[in-house]
Amino acid sequence: MIRTALRHHAPTELAEAVALLDSHAERAAVLGGGTMLVPRLTRGELDLDHVIDLRRLGLGTATVTDGRVRVGARATYANLLAAPAFPGTAQLLQRVAGGITGGPQIRCQGTVCGSAAYANPSTEVPAALVALDATMHLHGPGGARTAPAAAFFLDAYKVDLRRGELLTGVTVAARPARLGYCKLKLAEGSWPIATAAAVLPPAGAADHAPGYRGAVVTLGAISTRPIKLDLAPVLDDAGRLPGDADVDEWVAARIGEPWEDELAPGGYRRMVAGAVLRRALHRAHEENR
Amino acid sequence: MTEPASEPVPERDVAMTVNGRARRVRCEDRHLLVEVLREQLRLKGTHAGCLNGDCGACTVELDGQPVKSCLVLAAAAEGAEITTLEGVAQGGELDPVQQAFWDHDGFQCGFCLPGQIFATRWLLARDADPADTAIREALAGNLCRCTGYQSIVESVRAAAAGLRGEMGSGEVGSGVTPG
Ligand SMILES: Cc1cc2nc3c(=O)[nH]c(=O)nc-3n(C[C@H](O)[C@H](O)[C@H](O)COP(=O)(O)OP(=O)(O)OC[C@H]3O[C@@H](n4cnc5c(N)ncnc54)[C@H](O)[C@@H]3O)c2cc1C
Repeated sequence: MIRTALRHHAPTELAEAVALLDSHAERAAVLGGGTMLVPRLTRGELDLDHVIDLRRLGLGTATVTDGRVRVGARATYANLLAAPAFPGTAQLLQRVAGGITGGPQIRCQGTVCGSAAYANPSTEVPAALVALDATMHLHGPGGARTAPAAAFFLDAYKVDLRRGELLTGVTVAARPARLGYCKLKLAEGSWPIATAAAVLPPAGAADHAPGYRGAVVTLGAISTRPIKLDLAPVLDDAGRLPGDADVDEWVAARIGEPWEDELAPGGYRRMVAGAVLRRALHRAHEENR
Repeated sequence: MTEPASEPVPERDVAMTVNGRARRVRCEDRHLLVEVLREQLRLKGTHAGCLNGDCGACTVELDGQPVKSCLVLAAAAEGAEITTLEGVAQGGELDPVQQAFWDHDGFQCGFCLPGQIFATRWLLARDADPADTAIREALAGNLCRCTGYQSIVESVRAAAAGLRGEMGSGEVGSGVTPG
């Protein structure tokens, strides 16, 4: 049972939500799907007086327009999976949604934006959004603004949300590319220990063939923030990767302080990062033959 | 973390339809849906397990979607249609998924059944003939303390076959579409 004298607000206008958030500042939080917020309140990890529920704001859809995917703040993983197949690189979001553990229940409750706003390093959404060069749509007392995903994720559990601001949605532009995703987890039901999203130029693209030339890989759950790696410096003249040990060493050297939690120590994450990256690259090749 | 004595704890009336019946409950804003279902509506088929989103024992359908009711504030369910495990059987008859669990010993103590049954309904409404990997993946958000996973998977297979009209050993009834 939640012990604080919580008040639930379900505003019907964005301006009202922002005003509530602004006026109650540190004593208030946005309620998305509640999958992180509600148990934290139950466990007494958060001491709040107000929750501002986004349910009535009509931000629950994921839509594709002109090759861009717009995910509203209340769109759940299940909403993404129920939408038509996303084009190009944007399909990464549907792959992530389909692999979220916790059963259909969590996929019907948790939101992409809630995961982004929470910025738990051991999750998939932050790195997926960075891999896709997503635009974060923010709304606060001063009106609307946008931020690139790479600048939005500041640190573990820390994002660029100012006082009274909430995330209203994210947009990703779908690019034609070869895409490979790898998620390492302990068991079917467990959270990721490491993720890698490989984005390669489309097969046969003049400047980039052959092999991995032009490849960018974004690692998630490895560090406090997603790590985006351009593989160009490590490729040989033919655009091929060196041997596995060299790749592993190159990747490990690019992980500053690895993330550590109850799932895995930092040393383990650093050790597996290269293998997860290579698998994502391999899949990008294999799945796009 | 203690409440200021002078401040009343915010509370409200919440209207929802539970198992087809319009209900109005008076609850505090901080109450979880699982608490309101169990304590106020006395629907004890919804179990309070981990209160963390991991175990699935508190699963209900909210507006047709399976959710873990320990992650939902009751106030946020205003106007919602809720089905609890008590609402799955129709007219005193177990529904095909429940029947398959009964026939194939898909439970021992029954604590995890809400999650197993609602996750199965969700799966079979989308995939009439799921592969074992899909069955295991759909059930993965529900922890069975008796570790009866093998017979639970068999129950789901049987429920799928029954709903497809392929009656085998341990037959299940047909005609009810889950989800
Ligand atoms: C059992 C379980 C299994 C999981 N498995 C995985 C997994 O495999 N991979 C993975 O990546 N993740 C996993 N997760 C995490 C899951 O993805 C997140 O819990 C979920 O997406 C968070 O979304 P939410 O809408 O529920 O957030 P909430 O709990 O509602 O909110 C989380 C935080 O973000 C804030 N917030 C929410 N929305 C906004 C907004 N629009 N603007 C500003 N702030 C906001 C809240 O105030 C809160 O601080 C799992 C979670 C559970 C419980």
